[in-house]
Amino acid sequence: MADKDPSDVSTNQANNPLTRKLNKILETRLDNDKDMLEALKALSTIFTENNLRSRRNLRSDIEKRSLAINEEFLQSFQAVKEQLDSVYSDVKEMNECCQDMTNRLKAAKDQTHDLISQTTTLHAESQKLQMKSQVADAFLNKFQLKSEEAKIIRGTRDGALHPEFFNALARVKQIHSDCKFLLRTNQQTAGLEIMESMALHQESAYERLYRWTQNECRALTGDSPDISPVLCNAMKALLDRPVLFKYSIDEFGTARRSAVVRGFIDALTRGGPGGTPRPIELHSHDPLRYVGDMMAWLHQATASEKEYLQSLLKNCEVQESQIEDVLGHITEGVCRPFKVRVEQVLLSEQDAVTLYKLDNLLKFYHNTIRQIVNNEAALLSTLTEIQDLSHRMFFNSLTCNANKLLDRVELPPPDLGPTSSLTQTLQLLRDVLACHDASVVPIDDKKQDFKQILSCVVDPLLQMCSVSASRLNSIDMAAYMINGIYLMQSTLALYEFTDTRLEMLQAQIEAHVDTLISEQASFVLTRVGLSTIYGIVENHQPSQGPLSGIQGMDPITVKSAMNKFDSYLASPDSLTLPQCSLILSALVRDNAKRRAVDLICQAYKQMYEAIYNPTNEYKEPQSIVPRTPDQVVKLLS
Amino acid sequence: MKSHKAADMAAGPYNYSYIFKYIIIGDMGVGKSCLLHQFTEKKFMADCPHTIGVEFGTRIIEVAGQKIKLQIWDTAGQERFRAVTRSYYRGAAGALMVYDITRRSTYNHLSSWLTDARNLTNPNTVIFLIGNKCDLDAQRDVTFEEAKQFADENGLMFLECSAKTGENVEDAFLDTAKKIYQNIQDGSLDLNAAESGVQHKPATPRNPLNTDQTPNKEGCAC
Repeated sequence: MADKDPSDVSTNQANNPLTRKLNKILETRLDNDKDMLEALKALSTIFTENNLRSRRNLRSDIEKRSLAINEEFLQSFQAVKEQLDSVYSDVKEMNECCQDMTNRLKAAKDQTHDLISQTTTLHAESQKLQMKSQVADAFLNKFQLKSEEAKIIRGTRDGALHPEFFNALARVKQIHSDCKFLLRTNQQTAGLEIMESMALHQESAYERLYRWTQNECRALTGDSPDISPVLCNAMKALLDRPVLFKYSIDEFGTARRSAVVRGFIDALTRGGPGGTPRPIELHSHDPLRYVGDMMAWLHQATASEKEYLQSLLKNCEVQESQIEDVLGHITEGVCRPFKVRVEQVLLSEQDAVTLYKLDNLLKFYHNTIRQIVNNEAALLSTLTEIQDLSHRMFFNSLTCNANKLLDRVELPPPDLGPTSSLTQTLQLLRDVLACHDASVVPIDDKKQDFKQILSCVVDPLLQMCSVSASRLNSIDMAAYMINGIYLMQSTLALYEFTDTRLEMLQAQIEAHVDTLISEQASFVLTRVGLSTIYGIVENHQPSQGPLSGIQGMDPITVKSAMNKFDSYLASPDSLTLPQCSLILSALVRDNAKRRAVDLICQAYKQMYEAIYNPTNEYKEPQSIVPRTPDQVVKLLS
Repeated sequence: MKSHKAADMAAGPYNYSYIFKYIIIGDMGVGKSCLLHQFTEKKFMADCPHTIGVEFGTRIIEVAGQKIKLQIWDTAGQERFRAVTRSYYRGAAGALMVYDITRRSTYNHLSSWLTDARNLTNPNTVIFLIGNKCDLDAQRDVTFEEAKQFADENGLMFLECSAKTGENVEDAFLDTAKKIYQNIQDGSLDLNAAESGVQHKPATPRNPLNTDQTPNKEGCAC
């Protein structure tokens, strides 16, 4: 159809409609027009023969074909329509059926409505009941013992304690206290009833617990008691019943008390395994060791007992004083056997030094044990009594010694030195005071002791010296006393707390030295014949007239005496009293000598000045007293 | 019930099977109290005052799974307390004999301490020699070898320790306890004898139902 000659197209003008049509056709792009392509393809299936006849019939052929197709189409749709019709009738039927069912359901619903509401009510009621049952269970759980718990509380016949006992007891207690809440609500009857039953449970439980604890405690008599955790818990539980607690702990104390006594007696008489360490009593001949060992044993036992007690009461909050009270009870048993033995030692001991050592030892242990037990403990008061006794025995022994000194006073030896009883007593004093270096008591006690010891020893000694010196002349007495007191003084000077004593002794020495030097001076003056002259000079009053006029004071007499004095000056030692050289202390001796010389010089000076005094009317005083006092001093010193 | 109770016994600070008694001896100033303090408190005590007489401390240790309570008596080293401290040897299961490695004199006195220890304790007492202050090596005055030889000759256990740094302190106390425990196991230490220095607490409790087995011995006449 498109096969037109292109030359025609180029020759015609564009304005020609045919041209335009042709152009349009030519411009048509057939390969892009799918419909056209399909149409042409379809056409090519029926248009198989390109001849005139077929070309002329093409149109009718196509129309015929179109008609056939439409007829076919119509037939096909006829079937569809018939099926749709059948579906329609089916749906209609179903609709009717449904309608019918709806109606029937509606009827049924109307009929079941009552039933449903009834069911709902019942359901709600059931829920309510369930809730109530839960509450009741909870109540029972909280306010009622489980059967096994009740069984535990009631216990078995043999009295053994179930490990869960304390939990059960705690629950009983809890329930009992929870009942107070019940009483605040309107459930008072229940509250009261439960409370009562719990109280009964509690009472029986505590009673059982107490019996058990009592038996346990009573059995704790071994060297080292086995304190089980159950027993500790029992003590803790019993804390709620103070009376039962007290009884239980007393039971413990009594058991331990007998154990301690047995242990003490064993240590005293049996000693260790195979006899080592040896029994304490084997050393009873050595008082210090004997008493010391007993004390150390008691100290250790007391410390251990305190530990056991603390271990027993580790779960309980008790006051320290309560523990100490029980400890006092435990240690009370040993007091008697201990006291008897120590008293025996003390009463049979004579030696003051040993007694003093014992006294110090007891004092030390009194301090040591006081740190473990309280002041009310019998052990401590026993120790106090014993220590008191040892103190008394010691001072008794010192006093006894002193009395012996005064009973048999020794005569002073010819050399006026200390008597043997003096040196012996001072040696004893030294020994006693030396104990203090090895002792362990506080300084205050020491000071107090020293005072008492000194007055117990030094005073009788002084007394003894005085008595023994009473038959001597004053010069001998002075020298003898100086020697004795000096010895005491030099002994005491080595120790503490003796200052006041030393001062007192020094003063006494001074007094005796004074006596001695005045005796020495007057001895010299008498021997040179100056004593009368000096006496007159000293007592001379101007009213008596000039000295030279008095009898015995004429220049010749005075001069001859002065000449003798002059020869004394040449050898001053010739006139020294023998007693002065018997003084043991070089210091005191020299001091006495110096002061005697001072006295003589002073006397000389007085006489010298009197003679030189013009009112005394001595002619040529220079010839009577040729030496000036200064010269005399120089010569004598 | 019994098994339950036995399990309970393993717990808690107060529950122990044995009590061992120790004594610490040695010259003044060698550090006896400091060793004890280091062992019980795990602390060094500077400016430790002189011990007056005796003091004591405790600690619970474990040997071979057994809890053991050590009761340690610390004695004064000063000569004036010698008479007092001698009484405390009685019944000691272990004796720790201490010297100061920086002061030869304290080492020289060991033989007199050892004589005391041998005479006053029982033959099974374990004696442990401790050379204290080993932190002061620069001032050392006694060699380790010399002390070791002394210990061997006398059958003593020996360690050098420092109470200040804590070195070996624990070991000295523990080794002594182990030795004592071993003696018990060997049977050379008789637990039933009084004053062995060891007190045994049976692990299985007494039957609590038996109430009349131990009549009360009150008012023991002596």
